[in-house]
Amino acid sequence: MAERSFAKEVETLNLGLGDEFKGEGILAVTKALLQSGVSYVGGYQGAPISHLMDVLADAEDILLGLGIHFEASASEAAAAAMLAASVNYPLRGAVTWKSTVGTNVASDALASVSSSGVMGGALIIVGEDYGEGSSIMQERSHAFAMKSQMWLLDPRPNLTSITDMVEKGFELSEASSTPVMLELRIRACHVHGSFKTKDNVRPSFKLRDAMENPVRDYDRVVLPPSNFVHEKEKVEQRWPAAIEFIRSHKLNEFFGGHVAQHGIIVQGGLYNTLMRALAILGLADHYGETDIPIYCLNVTYPLLSDEVAGFCIDKKSILIVEEGQPEYLEQAICTILRREDISTKVHGKDMLPMAGEYTGQVVCEGLRKFFTQHAPDLIKTTAVSTFSLPEDSQQVLIDTVPNRPSGFCTGCPERPIFTAMKLVQRQLGNIHVSCDIGCHLFSILPPFNIGNTTMGYGLGWSGASAFNTETSQRTISIMGDGGFWHNGLTSGVGNAVFNKNDNILVIVDNGYSAATGGQDILSSRAENSKKSTKNPISKAIAGLGIKWQRTVVTYDIGAMMRTLTEAMTTGEKGPKVIIAESECMLNRERREKPIRNKRIADGKRVVRSRFGVDSDTCTGDHACIRLSGCPSLTIKDNPDPLREDPVAYVNNDCVGCGVCGEVSHAAVLCPSFYRADLIYNPTLRDRLFSKFRNLVIRSLQRRVDKKHANYSFGDM
Amino acid sequence: MANLSTDKPINIAIIAMGGQGGGVLSKWILDLADSQGYIAQYTSVPGVAQRTGATIYYIELFPAHLAEQAGKKPILALTPVPGDVDIVIASEMIEAGRALIRGFVSRHTNFIASNHRDYAISEKQEMGDGRQSVDEIQRLAEETAGEFICFDMDAAARSVGSVISSVLFGALAGSAALPFKRADFEATIAATNKAVQSNLKGFQLGFDAARQKQVAKADLDDTTEPRQKHADAVSKLLIRMENDFPPHAHYFIREGLKKLVDFQGIGYADLYLDRLTRVYAADKLSGGESKKWQLTNETARYLALAMAYDDIVRIADLKTRSDRFDRFRSEVKADAGQIVDVSEFMHPRLEEIAEILPARLGKFALSSPAIRKVSGFLFSKGRRVSTTKLGGFLLLHSIGRMSWLRKHSLRFSRETQRIESWLIAIDTAAQEDYSLAVEMAGLQRLIKGYGDTHARGLSNYSRIMDVCASAKETGNAAEIIARLKAAALKDEEGVTFAGELNALNFNSL
Repeated sequence: MAERSFAKEVETLNLGLGDEFKGEGILAVTKALLQSGVSYVGGYQGAPISHLMDVLADAEDILLGLGIHFEASASEAAAAAMLAASVNYPLRGAVTWKSTVGTNVASDALASVSSSGVMGGALIIVGEDYGEGSSIMQERSHAFAMKSQMWLLDPRPNLTSITDMVEKGFELSEASSTPVMLELRIRACHVHGSFKTKDNVRPSFKLRDAMENPVRDYDRVVLPPSNFVHEKEKVEQRWPAAIEFIRSHKLNEFFGGHVAQHGIIVQGGLYNTLMRALAILGLADHYGETDIPIYCLNVTYPLLSDEVAGFCIDKKSILIVEEGQPEYLEQAICTILRREDISTKVHGKDMLPMAGEYTGQVVCEGLRKFFTQHAPDLIKTTAVSTFSLPEDSQQVLIDTVPNRPSGFCTGCPERPIFTAMKLVQRQLGNIHVSCDIGCHLFSILPPFNIGNTTMGYGLGWSGASAFNTETSQRTISIMGDGGFWHNGLTSGVGNAVFNKNDNILVIVDNGYSAATGGQDILSSRAENSKKSTKNPISKAIAGLGIKWQRTVVTYDIGAMMRTLTEAMTTGEKGPKVIIAESECMLNRERREKPIRNKRIADGKRVVRSRFGVDSDTCTGDHACIRLSGCPSLTIKDNPDPLREDPVAYVNNDCVGCGVCGEVSHAAVLCPSFYRADLIYNPTLRDRLFSKFRNLVIRSLQRRVDKKHANYSFGDM
Repeated sequence: MANLSTDKPINIAIIAMGGQGGGVLSKWILDLADSQGYIAQYTSVPGVAQRTGATIYYIELFPAHLAEQAGKKPILALTPVPGDVDIVIASEMIEAGRALIRGFVSRHTNFIASNHRDYAISEKQEMGDGRQSVDEIQRLAEETAGEFICFDMDAAARSVGSVISSVLFGALAGSAALPFKRADFEATIAATNKAVQSNLKGFQLGFDAARQKQVAKADLDDTTEPRQKHADAVSKLLIRMENDFPPHAHYFIREGLKKLVDFQGIGYADLYLDRLTRVYAADKLSGGESKKWQLTNETARYLALAMAYDDIVRIADLKTRSDRFDRFRSEVKADAGQIVDVSEFMHPRLEEIAEILPARLGKFALSSPAIRKVSGFLFSKGRRVSTTKLGGFLLLHSIGRMSWLRKHSLRFSRETQRIESWLIAIDTAAQEDYSLAVEMAGLQRLIKGYGDTHARGLSNYSRIMDVCASAKETGNAAEIIARLKAAALKDEEGVTFAGELNALNFNSL
């Protein structure tokens, strides 16, 4: 079960002609897919498109009713390869993932399907994880569209434009026999808005029709000589067909005044940001009225030479608002103008930053530069400046406000693995640690500071494969269960077995693809009626030939330390795998908290554990925090007026995972930690025992209290 | 020329930590605006940022009737622009600072912030006190925002068993920054059918506080607790304190006496005063009066902590006290009468046992391989002791009564030795460099914790004490010691400390 249930939202997928859909952008895209008559959908979860996958998973019944096959693909490569179904048959299909990382993984299959060309519309929905909040390297999906020749749609970020572009995308794909990428920026994926819906469409040609009547066409296979023909087709047939479709369907839009000396060319996805910046400068209103001519590229690849030339020909200068680098659009537009011998001055990355997200403020500054240079009268009277604090105040704040990096959740089972590693490093010296993608990557941040590199999803172990030589200090690689099934099984474990690696892999088996939203995977322990789960990792790696493997419950820090130490020091040669298992606490609490509360309400006996720190034995050294980093383990003023340093303190978010107690044992820290078991609906036995104990304990305590009273300083 | 309309959206930015209510609050604002005829657009950046990191939720509201009159759809932005945000809501005080840095708060901004602290890992992990002061944030927020509503919304929420979003929502209603009525806000909460009662209570607290423009500090009770008459047994100590020491130092001395009487009895507290008398004499000689008796004060504080060191007797005693039992019940929020079982995480080693034994026996135990072997077997694992069960309680209770062992114990003799040489060093330093002596008195702060932590602190302390002697010639010894102390509290690997020693050219020592 995923982190978020969309059981309620799924109902909006049934909306019909003329109804109003209200909700998140990525759900609107899902609805648009159904309205477009898709036959199959696949993809791999990851922000910002996880919700699309989660919704589809929750909507399986609706999909079945429409004859749609939905697959939670093993990887983006698997999803991209799914598009092969559209090569020979008039089947519409859509796949989705986080870009550019997912597109990297998928690019092998994408290149092939782009070469073959498609008969049914093939849409690739990429969630562009760029700018604030992004967790990946900053690159553009644009390059993939260009290299494999797929068309790239970048619609204006409102639900009507986005959903319209989904439908147009399929048509464009079919008209030009080319897969189409629909790029959605992270905030557009999560934007809440509304659009008018249409009826869902059942595909007339079904998957079954294709399977029962297979069509073979040698021309569509990527093999000589077809592959050479494909390349010719791309430029001679598919490109012109696409250009014609884009022009005749007016996929790009013109806004603002039509006669002016200075214009703006903008990526569709940045249109709202541009308009806000113009409004702040007093050059537009909030309905989009403006005198400035704007050419809005809802299709950023390919460009229409004549549209570009036509827009520029009567202008002295234009500004291109294009996010990310390299500046592909700017280069292409310059080429077009040069060929047409149009001397319009082109601005873009000279006035806007080459790198980084184009926020309202950034675009505002760029526009100001542009107009100040070319039309100073335009903004002189109306422009208000965006706001910023005086420099000295700003500096004071920067010095005061600490970063707040992401970290392991309260009770996270991955934290103790890194606690154990930190403690083992104290004994064995520092260890080279190769990281992977997943929550466990937070280990590189304080307080653990463990990890050297991260090469990609499932690539943790291969990221250390060079270090396979005679040495006294082995390396440790980390891989999540998500990464393991994504490709780590072969590129990591298989690779290590085959190359006789002598190092260590720790597989973090928390039962879900946790970082992407808690989706089930092959080794999930959860019951899932629609997928095959409970396929243990231990069996898989044994099958691959791993002889040294141990399974450790992550919360047992002592056992984890012993196992790590054994793996680091054993004389046994060969690859060593430690499966560190415990369920993701976020998912576990989500499942168990309601059950627990219900049991309490029903009068059943329930024991709830949580941890605490005794403030009068805590000396305020915070070693426990440096070894744990749990959000619920925090600090507060020292109640002892003599001591200056704050004491550790467990706040009420504690879920009682026990890591802090384990830490204080394993690290021989301090006796301040205690576990409190709160008993709800105690049995008669509980009550009698407790009464008797309290009688004895209280009487002994009273004696001590009396003695203390004799030496009281009179404080309350 | 196009005729530009002046219709504009209301822009709201919520700055919060992922997973701590920003999403719920946004949803309420969205539902509310929707019910009141506004076009509402909302964006956020979920994903890994959600895992406890700082994140921004952004909402724009546009009056639907204006759009209808205009016959057009408004274009709403997906990110806040500095200077263009009407309402900024920060769920915590450092996040309020972040909102200021980002420039979201300007003269026409209604700024609503909770001034409680949720410490960042960089603040928590320091060995000393890494907490940032938020006074500057408070000052700049007041200076910059059009309207600044700030109080402890977390405490308010907890007081009614609600979550901070409800108090923030109430404060938003109370601020009158949105053109909606209170009842509409409340109806929005009611319509969710989730924890409606407690959320409405939280809402009410937020609403009232915002209406009264209360600054949170006002409702903290600053009044000191009334004091009862002290017991006769300690009057001699207090009289001695009042007669022999300046009032400036009374606060810490009194706390020190309290701690030491509790630790070992009247006689031990007397010893404390004896020792302190010597320091006070040196203080007087060095013109301490003009310096508000800093040396006496600092020594009063840290001498008490040094003398009341933590041994197993002390821990066992503290763990079994009645006020401790009351405290853990309230900390874990046990209901009245609820059964709470408590287990302590103890990890006694041979060292901790030996140090409480008579000095010679203790030394023998530590040096005997046989005993070490047996103890390794006995103490290699951490122990959980249940203090709410009879076995555990009686064990700790009886260990807690063994303070009579202390006076002749190995630890006692070691501590006595260290304290005496520390005091002599302070005394000597005071004659030449007053501020150096004060810094040396404060070095005791480094010695804390148990096991390795204690050993590391002690070694840093000794290192700096060594530096003191040679630092005297530099002329700014006090500053050097202060820098080294701060560095020693920075990281446990000693990287900063080693770096500072290097920078100051004391590494050869």
